[in-house]
Amino acid sequence: MSLKSYSRARAVHVMLVYTGGCNGCDIEIVNCIFSPKYDAEQYKIFLTWNPREADVLVVTGPVTKHNEQPLREIYKAIPEPKAVIAAGACALMGGVYKNINGDIPSEEIMGPVDKIIPVDAKVPGCAVRPEDVLAGAVAALPKLLNAK
Amino acid sequence: MDEDNKVTKKQVIETEVPLGTVHSAAIEPYRVRLFVEDEIVKDAEITVGVNHRGVERIMEGLPVEKANSLTEKICGICSNSHIWNSVLVAEKALGIEVPERALYIRIIMEELERLHSHMLYLAHGSEVLGHETFAMRVFYIRETVMELLRMIGGNRVQYGVPIIGGIRPRAELDQMRIQKIKDGMDFVEEKITEFAERFVSDPMVMSRITGVGILKKEDAIRLSATGPTLRATGVDIDLRRDMPEYDSFEFNVITHDDGDVKSNLLVRVLEIPESIKIIRQAIDHLPEGKITNRSWEMEDAPVTKNYIEVPRGKLYHSYSLDDGRVRNVIVRTPSITNIGAMEYACIGYHITDAQLAIVQCDPCFTCTDRAIQIIQI
Repeated sequence: MSLKSYSRARAVHVMLVYTGGCNGCDIEIVNCIFSPKYDAEQYKIFLTWNPREADVLVVTGPVTKHNEQPLREIYKAIPEPKAVIAAGACALMGGVYKNINGDIPSEEIMGPVDKIIPVDAKVPGCAVRPEDVLAGAVAALPKLLNAK
Repeated sequence: MDEDNKVTKKQVIETEVPLGTVHSAAIEPYRVRLFVEDEIVKDAEITVGVNHRGVERIMEGLPVEKANSLTEKICGICSNSHIWNSVLVAEKALGIEVPERALYIRIIMEELERLHSHMLYLAHGSEVLGHETFAMRVFYIRETVMELLRMIGGNRVQYGVPIIGGIRPRAELDQMRIQKIKDGMDFVEEKITEFAERFVSDPMVMSRITGVGILKKEDAIRLSATGPTLRATGVDIDLRRDMPEYDSFEFNVITHDDGDVKSNLLVRVLEIPESIKIIRQAIDHLPEGKITNRSWEMEDAPVTKNYIEVPRGKLYHSYSLDDGRVRNVIVRTPSITNIGAMEYACIGYHITDAQLAIVQCDPCFTCTDRAIQIIQI
């Protein structure tokens, strides 16, 4: 293991971007990192709000029209190597808001997330459970650690 | 500034501090423009609309059961309030009687939701204060409530307990569940009392929050603030007293006079024991019998509206029924009426207090972003 990946494994910074879901997933993710019950900080996973110091981007919500461009810019601002986790049914396929197969396809929703930025791990659920978020973060880690 | 606390002279404030839409202090995307002079906020402007998903538009023309479960997806914090009010509208329109037991279980769900919403507010407030330890402690207490919600509804966030005519069979309370709720309430009451004592006796926290973001009573009424934000300015109003659902429960309405961050926090802290009191009464007097009234027929109905008191204030739903489908859906959530209070509370304080003054009104911009402006050309 190189020094870089050694140090990366000891400080994984997660940035949460909220692109217009219902707040349920976001609170579960914050809960998963902050709450003493799940406590992702014990696995050296920290929550940050600064894209320049983030390693993992967690995206929740169907991407609304106004959030599309900010999401691209945030993704660009994160230094390599980076991993993206799409969390929640909305981020994976638009959820109820996309009105899939409905008679009125929604014009407000630009998602799902993988149309806009490349996604490495997908966490299903409405809303996601904290255990699943941890599993998703672990699934995205090899990309970070094996990068040169 | 005149006594209305408003910028009256046509002065141009050049320094503008924009926050958002994605910003570190705000979890939700919204945009705040602070107009600053000598680091004192002179004017503030909150813009919403980033989150717009058009839920009302998607609901238009859906079968009423489907539309009810879609209202849940408006907000992930007060999801039960939305589905409850939406179901109440349908029951009012069709004249459906709900069994007593179902009413009590709905009340239990609503009060559990109020507990978790207020605790989330305390955690978020502590985090904005910069006191992460308090935030973690509250999240620790909140986890008990979340587990109870998961036990009753089957999901941690969107439980979907009320259905038209009663509640979902999944949410029936048996003896084991009742015992678990009782134990959970004992735990929450003990821990939240401990937390409140520590919070109030912490001189650093208290000096940070006392006298910051003051909203006067008259201003709060004029800006049509609602819920605990209004109660924190000294207005004794709570829709729960007037709702027929709450007739058989005893509880106090908590008010505070100062209207600052401290009062806002304390009102919510002190509402937690009141909610626990309501849950205990509901469990002790839980009536026997069936939980769903299935003998009703769908018929057309004109626009029916209903108000309930939710953790953040007054919630309004209205729709009409046409061949079993909903039409003309309008939802008004408490946060949209609180936006004026949020803007107003920042004015006159240091720029570092602005975020705190906004958070004191318990904003939920997810709820808020539904309005569509129709422009006729």
